[in-house]
Amino acid sequence: MSQNENDCYSFLTVNNPWKHNPNAIWLGSTLTLNRNLEKFNFPGKLSSEKRKQIVSLLSTELIKHSSLKNPMLYKGENLTPLQKEFLVEHFLSHHSFHQAHIGEAFILEESGEFLAEINMKDHLNLSSIDLKEDLENVLSRLVNVEMSLNKYVNYSFSPQFGYLTADPTESGTGLIVTIYLHLLGLRVTERLDEAFKKYAEEGISHSGLQGDPNEMIGDIIAFKNLYTLGVTEENILSSIRSMATKLVVEEKVARNHLKQEHDNEVSELKDRVSRAYGILMHSYQIETIEALNAMSLLKFGLDIGWVNGITHETLNYLFFACRRAYLLCHFEEKMASENLSHKRSEYIHQILKPATLLI
Amino acid sequence: MLEKKPERHYSDRPLECGECKKPIAVRYTEIVGNNIVDITMCSDCPELQRRLYGTSLKDYIQSQAGVGAALECGNCGTTLEEVKRGNRLGCSECYNVFADVLLNELQAAGRLTPRITAGRKGLPAHIGRAPGETIALNPSSRLLALDEALNETIKREDYEQAAWLRDQIKALTEKSDLPSQPPETDKGEGENESKRK
Repeated sequence: MSQNENDCYSFLTVNNPWKHNPNAIWLGSTLTLNRNLEKFNFPGKLSSEKRKQIVSLLSTELIKHSSLKNPMLYKGENLTPLQKEFLVEHFLSHHSFHQAHIGEAFILEESGEFLAEINMKDHLNLSSIDLKEDLENVLSRLVNVEMSLNKYVNYSFSPQFGYLTADPTESGTGLIVTIYLHLLGLRVTERLDEAFKKYAEEGISHSGLQGDPNEMIGDIIAFKNLYTLGVTEENILSSIRSMATKLVVEEKVARNHLKQEHDNEVSELKDRVSRAYGILMHSYQIETIEALNAMSLLKFGLDIGWVNGITHETLNYLFFACRRAYLLCHFEEKMASENLSHKRSEYIHQILKPATLLI
Repeated sequence: MLEKKPERHYSDRPLECGECKKPIAVRYTEIVGNNIVDITMCSDCPELQRRLYGTSLKDYIQSQAGVGAALECGNCGTTLEEVKRGNRLGCSECYNVFADVLLNELQAAGRLTPRITAGRKGLPAHIGRAPGETIALNPSSRLLALDEALNETIKREDYEQAAWLRDQIKALTEKSDLPSQPPETDKGEGENESKRK
């Protein structure tokens, strides 16, 4: 049970976890375990033949792994550029999958939550999406998959550097945890920088959705552990969880404060939420970044009672669904690039139709 | 006439150093006569050193690493220069060949915990799990985090958020068999309050 005429978009939309995400502030998390196999050079210095061997070795075992539900193998050479981009968007990957070709592969689980990348950065990168603030169980599951593969392969490991990864800044545990928080309140009340500084000292870095720490698209901030070496897996999870819990509280405080301050006033913030609503409901064409920034304000308005008729689930899904590859896959048609921003507008109108502005 | 912009998934500004793959810290513009060179670099880019101080990359590496600038991994051919630039490593053997350089680079990039930096000689640096080991994660970590946040809100006298956090804690403890009071937490002022729900 492997190959893939079946495209990954339809496969992943069976149970797309992003469609059922009711979170207001802690939007979700991703966990990745990076591993290489002993006795093989890392993928960047490995011949195509050997990379194919690794794909075959790892995929055979992963496909029949009992804890994965209906996993499917997608070989790099069989995926279109659009499908690769779709996977990057869906799994919020920090790197591009465009170079995936012969000798690279992906294994997806039907749940749409689990992805194994073979020979991309490392021989094996196991990732999972988590929408329930359930970092420990998600990691245990990844470790479980990693351990059962360990019966068939040995991982590159040294007592000094831990698990050896192609990127030395990920050696040690090889574990990267990223938490996505929607922090519009802290941004508007200008308290983000203070938080960034504080948590940087605790070994947590931040960036925007595109990886640029200075551009917070849609006010979504990705917090990631800076240390992978010299810490335990538990240290990583607990420090990032502790940070996220505190920031969620701080964000709630900021939102309450903004609501109290602006609720009964003629205010600039109300104007911004109204304009965001106007842009989303009435634009003829719209680019992703503009849409995400406007949706951020609408999501905030929804949370403090300035907008109703829609849910966080709808808006959270739209955060994904309006991005390029998601949108193109959704329409399942080739369209000229200048049409895409028009289609995006139409799609947003349709999804947000029930939304009402109460201010 | 409406302008037709090509659809771009990502902004057209480069996000990575033009030389290595680290995040950009510096935009460097050099104007010589009519020539304008525009480069984006990371903060510790050897290329930046070269542009600013005129030292060549080799000199810079030599000055950083002492002798052995021509060092390369005998197994995969990854050179010291590549390691210095932050390129990916080629194989496990690179970690033996470049061990000291890697630790220096990781430290310079702020990717070593203070614990390792303080006791660098006391290697091994890795303290996480090893292959074959099962992972034991504290099942009450969510509770610990909530409790920690609760203590902070009580210190700030923010009782509204404290009440919300207590509800979360209550919901969690009722749902599971976990002890109602998480073990070994910081003994903050709010602890007694949190015990009382």
